[in-house]
Amino acid sequence: MKKKALSAVLTAAMAVSMTAGMAMNVSAATDEFAGEELSILVSAGWMDDRYKATIDRFEDTYGVTVDLQTIPADQYSDILLSKLATDSCTDVFWIQSNPFAIESQIVDPEKYCIDFTGAEWEAKIPEVRRAACKCNDKLYGMQFWHNSPEYVMLYNKSLFEENGWEVPANYEELKALCAQILDAGITPWFMPGADGWQHQLPFFQIGGIYEEAQPGLYEALNNNTATFADNEKMLEVLNQFKEFSDAGYFGEDWIGTDSTNMANEFADRNCAMALANSSYIKQIKEDTGTEDEFGLFIEPLGDNTWFPSSPAGPTMFGYNGSEHPELVKEWFNFVAQTESLQEILDNSPSYTNIHANDDAVEQHWLPEEEEFMNSIPEEKMAVSVLQNGTKYTNDYWMNFGQDLVSFCLGEMEANDVLANMDTNRAEAAKVAGDPAWN
Amino acid sequence: MNKKRIYPQWFLIVPLALYIIFFLLPSIMGVGYSVTDWNSRSVLTGVHFVGLDNYKEIFLSDKNYLSGIGHTLMFTIVSNIVKLIPALLIAIMLQEGLRGQGFYRTVLYLPSILPFVIIGLIFKSILNYNNGLLNMFFEAVHLDFFKLKWLSDLNVVWKSIIGVDAWRGIGYVMTIFLAGLNTIPKSYYEAAQIDGANFWQRLRYVTLPMLTGSIMINLVFGITYGLKVFDIVYVLTNGGPGHATEVLTTYAFQLYSRGQYGMSTALNTILLIITAVVGVFIVKTLGKQEVQQ
Repeated sequence: MKKKALSAVLTAAMAVSMTAGMAMNVSAATDEFAGEELSILVSAGWMDDRYKATIDRFEDTYGVTVDLQTIPADQYSDILLSKLATDSCTDVFWIQSNPFAIESQIVDPEKYCIDFTGAEWEAKIPEVRRAACKCNDKLYGMQFWHNSPEYVMLYNKSLFEENGWEVPANYEELKALCAQILDAGITPWFMPGADGWQHQLPFFQIGGIYEEAQPGLYEALNNNTATFADNEKMLEVLNQFKEFSDAGYFGEDWIGTDSTNMANEFADRNCAMALANSSYIKQIKEDTGTEDEFGLFIEPLGDNTWFPSSPAGPTMFGYNGSEHPELVKEWFNFVAQTESLQEILDNSPSYTNIHANDDAVEQHWLPEEEEFMNSIPEEKMAVSVLQNGTKYTNDYWMNFGQDLVSFCLGEMEANDVLANMDTNRAEAAKVAGDPAWN
Repeated sequence: MNKKRIYPQWFLIVPLALYIIFFLLPSIMGVGYSVTDWNSRSVLTGVHFVGLDNYKEIFLSDKNYLSGIGHTLMFTIVSNIVKLIPALLIAIMLQEGLRGQGFYRTVLYLPSILPFVIIGLIFKSILNYNNGLLNMFFEAVHLDFFKLKWLSDLNVVWKSIIGVDAWRGIGYVMTIFLAGLNTIPKSYYEAAQIDGANFWQRLRYVTLPMLTGSIMINLVFGITYGLKVFDIVYVLTNGGPGHATEVLTTYAFQLYSRGQYGMSTALNTILLIITAVVGVFIVKTLGKQEVQQ
């Protein structure tokens, strides 16, 4: 009994001393930074309300103020570059990063970015995203973004079940299915070509299949030892796309159709499938009130079996010329805490998860997402989508889209579409002074 | 002699300075930048002289810049024909004592005051293949063969753009013609009628020669507008489908958006040269005719 009482007293004493220690730490931190201001430059849509609670807590904890400068997306890049060039950047800034963006956008990370190498929070960034935060093996950025399935095939499960249609596993099955759906008077695959940026996705989201067909392709494309032109798998996919276009599987006038009415088209059962984000299921249901159920499957063009991993996303950097480098470091530590990550996720209504190595964060996956994600083997997630896995490709997204339409209208050859991408990438590499192209 | 002048010459200083600062200087700077590699990274890497590389790229590369220049010239010619002739006939009709002419003038002029963005949104909706007003109308009256992909068929898309542009612009051109028609003395027509001239003869020998000034204004405005056309193409097709309706300015816009400012200004310099040459040619040619008359 005495032992029990003693252990209880000791435990209580230990708890009291730990609490006192923690309080002392917070107090020291508060004293250290009190009255300072942390300025953050960010493009609209990257932080917004989702960071508000975290910023409030940070201000309260450290007795500082956060000056959040949100810039319209179309002006952001110019403003950031100007601020970097004139040594007048904010303490923290963001870029839309991918494995090549630090070098191409920030140009000289050693000069402009705080080196966070060795920071504890690096372990919280998923392996696939770290390349977008590092340059020359040094850690500069912090990327915590969502990892919902992006632009995979979304289909009306109820419609499929009622008609006895099976989810296709390869190109031939997809083609046969589309013929059946079209016979039923329904547009098989809704393709919003008039948006100008969506119809490229079927080609680029299946990067894994190109890499599988020609191992080392991504690296070769990045070293300028391979080209898009004459790539057999890419030509095969482009020709399949045109075949679908010619057959009317994308709708009678997909080139003139935009995505404004896509949710209604799904709810009215005018279309059966589309390339979309998993969160779109929620949108269809909320916008239209449909009781149909929806599901996801891997895009089967080119007999693809790869998940479209995309290690890109808005990424936060510390400015090397900051007057408060220690406060900046505290901010990064603070954001990486479980509580902050949870706040960020909970305040992001469009996202169901946050991609972080932190099991304590409670994710909000949709059942459809869980079902889909569980059906994909881990190794099929290892290759990035083509546009973010190869240098300068994403910069010419819209041009590729125009060429793709020209190809479908018979104005261009498939290989010319690919050759134009090579020419454009070479142009971007020249601007960037990329040694692989010079 | 100097005393007879209403305003002294130094009154020119302010407008001239404004013109030089806001028009002439940027144009000259644009020409200067067109021979550099000015791009989005120049703020960090600097701007370098590249000679005529940008122009070589425009004229010699296998990109579609030349087709953009061709489309621009085609649009300029066709859109002016489509606007000028109907506008002249409507102006004459409204001048001939038509009932409710004030109302018609207002109705015809109204589209000219609408912003291009609004026009683009409205017509994109009207011309939509699946649920646009126009195709729905044709379906309703069982004229399905008129149902077309107005903005996505290669054979139709330019006609749609020029049609919408004419709908917007005819009222404006007509107003200038009306102003010109008002300056022609009625006695000329009366004399021509006494001589037995019919409508076409009066048009040929009285109206057109007396309207040279208005025609010149409309032509100069129309041609400069046509050469720098952007808004109507951008809002209706954004250069598509594919590259079918790309014009010089949409290419310049794309290049600028991608941060290739040097290339973009090279394209704009070409546009500046074409516009200046054509403008000077028209003013000189029609000016001479006016003096002869």
